[in-house]
Amino acid sequence: MQSDAPDVLDQELTASSSNDDESMAELRTLLLGPAEKQIAEVHERLTDPRRQLKEVSHVLPAAIRSRKDDELTDALAPTVAAALQQSVRKNPKPLADAIFPIIGPAIRKAIAAALSGMVQSLNQSMTYSLSVKGLQWRFEALRTGKSFAEVVLLKTLRYRVEQVFLIHKETGLLLQQASAPGIKVQDADMVSAMLTAIQDFVHDSFATPKDDELETLQVGELTVWIERGPLAVLAAVIRGNAPQDLRTVLQETLERIHLQFGQALSEFQGDASPFEDTAPLLEDCLEAHYDTGQDSTIRRRITPLTVVASLILIGLLVWGFFWFRDKRRWDGYVERLRNEPGIVVSEDGTREGKRFLSGLRDPLARDPNSVMQEFQINPTDVVSHWEPFQSLTPEFALSRARSLLSPPATVRFSVKDGALVAEGFATHEWVTETRRAARFLPGLAGIHDEKLLDLNRIQDPLLMFQLDRSELVPGQDEKFNLLVGDIERLQAIAVELKKNVRLEISGHADGTGTEARNAVLSEERARTIATALESRLPKWPNLTIHAVGSRERVKEEVTEADRATNRSVKFRVIATDVQ
Amino acid sequence: MIQKKICMLGSFAVGKTSLVRRFVESIYTDKYHTTVGVKVDKKIVKVGEQETTLLLWDLEGSETEHDLRKSYLRGASGYLLVADGTRKDTLYHVLSLQSRAEETLGPVPFLLLLNKSDLTDMWEIDDRERSAIEQKKWKIIDTSAKTGQGVEDAFLSLTEKMMEKHNG
Repeated sequence: MQSDAPDVLDQELTASSSNDDESMAELRTLLLGPAEKQIAEVHERLTDPRRQLKEVSHVLPAAIRSRKDDELTDALAPTVAAALQQSVRKNPKPLADAIFPIIGPAIRKAIAAALSGMVQSLNQSMTYSLSVKGLQWRFEALRTGKSFAEVVLLKTLRYRVEQVFLIHKETGLLLQQASAPGIKVQDADMVSAMLTAIQDFVHDSFATPKDDELETLQVGELTVWIERGPLAVLAAVIRGNAPQDLRTVLQETLERIHLQFGQALSEFQGDASPFEDTAPLLEDCLEAHYDTGQDSTIRRRITPLTVVASLILIGLLVWGFFWFRDKRRWDGYVERLRNEPGIVVSEDGTREGKRFLSGLRDPLARDPNSVMQEFQINPTDVVSHWEPFQSLTPEFALSRARSLLSPPATVRFSVKDGALVAEGFATHEWVTETRRAARFLPGLAGIHDEKLLDLNRIQDPLLMFQLDRSELVPGQDEKFNLLVGDIERLQAIAVELKKNVRLEISGHADGTGTEARNAVLSEERARTIATALESRLPKWPNLTIHAVGSRERVKEEVTEADRATNRSVKFRVIATDVQ
Repeated sequence: MIQKKICMLGSFAVGKTSLVRRFVESIYTDKYHTTVGVKVDKKIVKVGEQETTLLLWDLEGSETEHDLRKSYLRGASGYLLVADGTRKDTLYHVLSLQSRAEETLGPVPFLLLLNKSDLTDMWEIDDRERSAIEQKKWKIIDTSAKTGQGVEDAFLSLTEKMMEKHNG
């Protein structure tokens, strides 16, 4: 039967195929068993979402970090933007809280710029009258670089921040408190709680837009300013009129507190000790500004400019002092020179940085350099040019006369009425020379020599004696009288000049006769004259008469006349100085 | 020094304020209740070695749910519910106050004070109600403003509970 065969075949085929299948399966398991396990695992990994998540989350941060280029940023940008948008839409608070510390300054900057424009126009339209104060304030505006309007606003302020509270926003608990010296604060913690309650009360009762909050409480002179941050509130109690600047200070302080103490704020459970370090920040808010003009906001900064300016000023003062001193010295010096006899100053100025002086100088005048020393002027700083000249003033004429004529000690010079006066006694040579030279003395019109005694008038004459006698040869009375007169004059002059005079009378004898006789004779002759003189002359203390004999001959004896000459007496005048 | 904010809630005239008057430091008068709706007092409690300053926000007595200002509750670490034992409706009101408080604050520690316990013959709370409340795991303290009974205990207990919660 053919139909059976296929069935049997089928059966057999099926059986064998099923056997095959079995063995195939067995084979598969044997060969691929371990691999199958792995594959199954991988399959599971790929399809199990939870496992996938785990995998991806493991590698994701590293993967992102390894992508440093813009592609990742570009890919993420739209997603991040959309996420931010949605976040803000759902609840803007977290985002606002996150950027709170930075948004404040950014906004303030923008506002300040806008305001400064406004202030400028305010400045222009501000009509501050020409009062002294107004002018002062304008000057101050110029000096400090602020606009006038700013200065006005600042000047009219007077306020004091008396207390500052840092309050935990959610609970109303007090975190830290600062108060100005002299201010007593009681129960600051209850005040803080109540203040929080009031803020809530106001918000609940009056605020329409959700973000309106209580900012200012005012009662009489006291104002309470409230600044709110995401986690903390800063309340300041102010007495007086405070500028908006102070609000800025409070805001900045609050921002800084959020920055530095943000974590402590969010973890706050009632322990306020972490916030003790906010005390200095709060104390910085305790500003006080008074109207007396000593405004601490217009700080007198010690800028480099003021330092330099003061140094320059000091330098100027010092230089000025020295310049003045030197000028005075110089002027004194020149004045003195002008008054110095024998010096004529013709030019007084400066040449090539040095002082310059020129004029005429009599050689007998004082040396200008020695005058310089008196005025503490350094000669090297001065250029002088002196032309020699002869001064005809009496003093100089006199000095010149003295230097030219060299009067002996027994003669005194002076000037009277433009003429030289010579008093005293001197040798004949000198007297003659003087008389002659006096005509040529510049500046002097002649010489008065009435009181000038030529000693030769006394020393020349010989009084003759008779031969071998000590009696005078007659006919010499006149000669003797003249002599006496001259001696009297000599005496008078000596007194005036305060000089002592000794008159030596020496007798002589001629060559005839013995030496002994002649000695006696000469002495006798001298004594005769001395006696005669003494009887004729008054007794003067300064005149001494000394009579001596002399072996000397007056003249060489050749003729009789010579011998007669030797029979004589001669005078010699010796002057001695005052004791 | 730890500070904690706690609130005191209850109906009108349950005696909240007079209850605590002797035990707290005050600088504000009662009129704040009607003006601002809250009066803040201070109480210092010592648990073991730890001193805690409690800032007690005594909220205006409320009749309806609307009266409760949620903003005043904010940030409280615990609260005291005060009911007048001589007026049962105040107890019911307190129950709803509690649920609203828990809505706002979450599961913070609280106590139920049954005030005017000195007026025993006017007492309206029976044991059945008491045990029902206790079953909710609420702690009940009987207090009297007149005698001062239970007040210190209330503050102490609440503070302990809050410390437990705080210290974890």
